[in-house]
Amino acid sequence: MHASNSFGDSASRLLRQGGLMAVIVLYTLYSAMPFVWLGSMSLRTTSEISAAHFAWPQTLHWEKFRAAWVDSNFAQYFWNSTLVVGAAVAIVTLFGAAAAHCLARYNFRGNRLVYFTLFSSIVFPPQIILISLFQVLVEFDLYNTRLGLTLVYVGLQLPLTVYLLEGFFARIPQDLFDAAKIDGYSDFEIFWKIVLPVGMPAIATTIILNFIQLWNEFLFAVVLVSEPGLRTLPIGIRAFMGDYFQDIGMIATGMMIAIIPVVIVYAFFSEKLIQGMTAGAVK
Amino acid sequence: MSNSISNALPAPKPGWRPKLGALLAPPEADSRRTSWPTLMLFLAPALLVYAALTAYPVVRTFYNSFFIINDIASSDFVGLAHFAEVFRDATFLAAVRNTAIWSTVAPFLDVITGLLLALCLYAGVPFARFLRVAWFTPVLLSYVVVGIMWVWIYNYDWGVVNVALRNVGLGHWAQAWIGDPRFALASLMVTHAWKWAGFNMVVCLAALHSLPSEVLEAAELDNCGWWEKLVHVIVPMLWPTLLNLYILAFIGKMKVFDLVWIMTEGGPVWSTETVSTYVYKRAFNWNTFDLGYPSAIAVVWFFVVVGFVVFFNVLFRRRERLEY
Repeated sequence: MHASNSFGDSASRLLRQGGLMAVIVLYTLYSAMPFVWLGSMSLRTTSEISAAHFAWPQTLHWEKFRAAWVDSNFAQYFWNSTLVVGAAVAIVTLFGAAAAHCLARYNFRGNRLVYFTLFSSIVFPPQIILISLFQVLVEFDLYNTRLGLTLVYVGLQLPLTVYLLEGFFARIPQDLFDAAKIDGYSDFEIFWKIVLPVGMPAIATTIILNFIQLWNEFLFAVVLVSEPGLRTLPIGIRAFMGDYFQDIGMIATGMMIAIIPVVIVYAFFSEKLIQGMTAGAVK
Repeated sequence: MSNSISNALPAPKPGWRPKLGALLAPPEADSRRTSWPTLMLFLAPALLVYAALTAYPVVRTFYNSFFIINDIASSDFVGLAHFAEVFRDATFLAAVRNTAIWSTVAPFLDVITGLLLALCLYAGVPFARFLRVAWFTPVLLSYVVVGIMWVWIYNYDWGVVNVALRNVGLGHWAQAWIGDPRFALASLMVTHAWKWAGFNMVVCLAALHSLPSEVLEAAELDNCGWWEKLVHVIVPMLWPTLLNLYILAFIGKMKVFDLVWIMTEGGPVWSTETVSTYVYKRAFNWNTFDLGYPSAIAVVWFFVVVGFVVFFNVLFRRRERLEY
């Protein structure tokens, strides 16, 4: 662009850009290669893998997915994860949205206290509730049930849900509510017919975020569920790994089954997801 | 956060507009106020969940920490004996040491990697959008998947790390990365950073995009080298974000459990034991049959974590920014 560019300048620029590209390529390999490796192992048999750990699949053994799904109980784990996570996300979204709307919209004594109480438990270390939740669930016959795990998950995700939605709902212009009120909308009609539709992008973000976090949840699931038939996917994979430590190929297939829903959600909603996770960390 | 809501703001629905009569009426209806029963109906479900599944368990853990609890039915009061024992417990102290190293050192790794990646993308490389999505992907994987994958990567015989070392003639550097107490903790920290760098990257990138571009252009005109620009312009301007990311990572790593449990279960010889894994072991894994002692550890650690959060908040006056 500038005629005054000396040879040295452009050479150093070239070098710098070359260095930048090298860093980018290397980091992309570093962050993506484990997936590629996992993907290729999921389509190879364990004996093939043992013969050459880094070879490309010669024949694609898709039947391994069927074997993992049917013979190794992954269908059951998948179903358990879907039920527990689906129910928990639905409940926490509804409860969290109602509370967030109330806290964002209405002036009442104690508003900030309630908000702070609900939100602050986000920093608690999980052990402070883990042991006693185990006792509570045993006492209420909810230990080793999907219902018990679902309820615990609702409690776990409530602070984040209220925090994110309160921030979003507070920015819906007050005029909209004033007009609706004058129009004779009741408080519940306002919530149902205005806040939920208008806030849908934000609600979708929290749904996706809660889904991913709960789909991957491990600590509470491992403590509160011991019955093999009720395991969620992370626990199922871990148990499978414990029983068939040598069967690398099948473990890889099971891991792919657990990843696929997350990848699908990510493929469709990557922007929303990144927004949701960064909300609050940026000014 | 700022963009998403402005997209979300209402285009008033076609069929819905204030009626004329309503516009003429005096605005006596204050839509910021409502009756207590209405408020309670909105808040009750969340408060009930909070009371039953957070507040009550917290209180009960505090209560438990004064007892030896052999099983659900029987318990013996021991006063503060557990707390006296906690501070003499060599395993607990090793766990605290490991957790402290992890939460002070590792966040530098996360944040610096995140910042450098964000700068690469900010410099306007091709496929930036694709790279951002690709680098963020590990954040979304469960620790079970990440952990098992990295157990294989660190495998002594056929793991990627050792195979690569042997192929370039550095075979004598090959290690049992997570089987050797000298390297296990560092290896886990690298894996944890692999998972979280993408998160730090997207936050740094968002912060970079919110900087006034004039400043960077001015630095460009002053012919600053990239290092001077980084140290004297970019880092100072991003300081609040970087500090915030450090604190988030610090608090997050004080609770680290899943990855350790999958990869090493705290071993070898306590070298990767964290407070979280130790509590879990004492409560559910060892046959000590006492839920009281691990509760006492949980209470101690609760105060440490909350103490740090309060400390950081007071120190930096950045309320409501701390998550996770």
